[in-house]
Amino acid sequence: MSAVLDAPQPRLPSQSAWQRRIELVRLSAVRQLRSRYRGSALGVLWSFANPVLLTMMYTLLFGSAFASSYGGSTTRYVVSAFVAVVVVTFFLQATSEALVSVVANGGLLNKIAIDPETFPFASVAANAFQQALTTFPAMLIVSLVITHDPVRVILVPIVLAAVVAMAAGFGIALAALYVFFRDLSYLWAVMGFLLWMTSPVFYPAALVPESIRAYLVVNPVAISIAAVREVTIDRGPLDAGTIGLFIAVAAGFAILGHLLFRGLRREFMDLL
Amino acid sequence: MPAAIALEGVTLVRRTQEELHYDLKRSALRLLSGRLSRVRRRTVLEDVSVRIEHGEKVGIIGPNGSGKSTLLKIIAGVLVPSRGRVSVDGSLSALIELGVGFDPELSLVDNIVYYGVLLGHSEELVRGRIEEILEFAELVDHRNEPTKILSSGMAARLSFAIATEFRPEVLLVDEVLSVGDERFRRKCQARIDRFWDEHSTIVLVSHDMLTVARTCNRVIWIEEGRVRFDGPAQRAADLYMSTIPSASSFRKGDELVELAEKNPRGEVLVRGTSGDLQLYLIRGGRRHWISSPAWCRQHGYEGADVVIVDDEVIKQVATGDVLS
Repeated sequence: MSAVLDAPQPRLPSQSAWQRRIELVRLSAVRQLRSRYRGSALGVLWSFANPVLLTMMYTLLFGSAFASSYGGSTTRYVVSAFVAVVVVTFFLQATSEALVSVVANGGLLNKIAIDPETFPFASVAANAFQQALTTFPAMLIVSLVITHDPVRVILVPIVLAAVVAMAAGFGIALAALYVFFRDLSYLWAVMGFLLWMTSPVFYPAALVPESIRAYLVVNPVAISIAAVREVTIDRGPLDAGTIGLFIAVAAGFAILGHLLFRGLRREFMDLL
Repeated sequence: MPAAIALEGVTLVRRTQEELHYDLKRSALRLLSGRLSRVRRRTVLEDVSVRIEHGEKVGIIGPNGSGKSTLLKIIAGVLVPSRGRVSVDGSLSALIELGVGFDPELSLVDNIVYYGVLLGHSEELVRGRIEEILEFAELVDHRNEPTKILSSGMAARLSFAIATEFRPEVLLVDEVLSVGDERFRRKCQARIDRFWDEHSTIVLVSHDMLTVARTCNRVIWIEEGRVRFDGPAQRAADLYMSTIPSASSFRKGDELVELAEKNPRGEVLVRGTSGDLQLYLIRGGRRHWISSPAWCRQHGYEGADVVIVDDEVIKQVATGDVLS
């Protein structure tokens, strides 16, 4: 039995395989953004309006009730809710768009030799780019104003990059599994709601009973929020352990997702 | 010099579509009841070894489901062989119908760039050719409009223009594409003919034995996933005609076929019962495989169950009319 080899990709002398991969992801992401915002005057600003509106709503509903947990400061409640809303909406939007992306492009994959990873990566990249123009810089400013800590400010983009990497890991795994289980989209919608509710987005983490809190550590959104809050609004000595652990976990999810996709890839071309 | 295309012992085993675990719920129930069936697999290609030299024009023929289109997908890199190896020397392009994949919300220009890059060209190269593509498709006036405004014929013209704009060293063609009205179809044909003249390596998959025999100098005949014949086009054509299934394999127009076979001057076209547009011409008691879907459209046989061809006069009649 001879060795199993990957079939050749169409190559051009001027382009390396990596350049082509990156160009494809970039163009697919641009395509998604273009068709999403075509005919919308506010365009990418919508990605800012959404978390701002949600934060305003949470503040109106729960701001005064939970103020005591935030040192009596409504401002602290607002920024705390805002950074969490950004993380959770980005994570859920990116992963649910990535989930359908391979199946949605099945026709194309059956005609042109394209790395199937292109599509889930493009979904995550499109969402990350959108946030990078709006909410991510806002977090940098929040960190600068509230923490006055240059180390924390520098860590903001690193932690956000880890959040994106984790979303990519989940997105790519979901995209591969969706090929086999076409009801996964419903399940993931329910999971998304659970992840949102079990993350301390609009309520203080301390409110959750100690016995239950231990289980919530498995929630990837909750640990993302904790790490983002650590670098944007927390004061005092930096909890390097939380940050380091989060980055390691995010990298782990990214690698696992990729391995799962690689493992299933050969099989799923038969089901598209 | 390495071969343009080399396949060594290529075997492809695929999951069959009927045994899909298409949802979690059903899979979970099966698992619980201990009835998790094994995935069914089918060997689509078996130990295919082919070496195609630079500049060769090769036709791949075979009945439906024989694996000939799959073979093209293996060469194009769309499918990865289960065993064996594939190598392609030089830039490769496949003439394919893109229409289904256009993003309706994007402008024509954006779709051109996107598909050009998907087909393996750099963005810079594609951007430099936008005008030529729009011009060939005769859609220059619509360049910035969303692609959804195009009629299906216009979309087909655009996809043909994109796919054929860049001349590759190795060209894969699955059925000869012909799109649009008669005038545009001739334009497409002229462009395809130019590829032939320019000494590209061409692999053409077709049902149409006549086209293959006329345009290719070598034919690979695939049947049940194996290479049954590989050699000069004319010998393949003769061999192919002699093995076309007997009249009994048609349900519709059975008697008609019988009638035509008895009558040495009768010519009858019968649509195959497999549901697609394969037509057989029975002329002088012998069966010829003459048609492809494109050929049928061109000659107006589309949708006809039975067509009588009487020298130059072509008329379509219902089965009953002929038999009475």
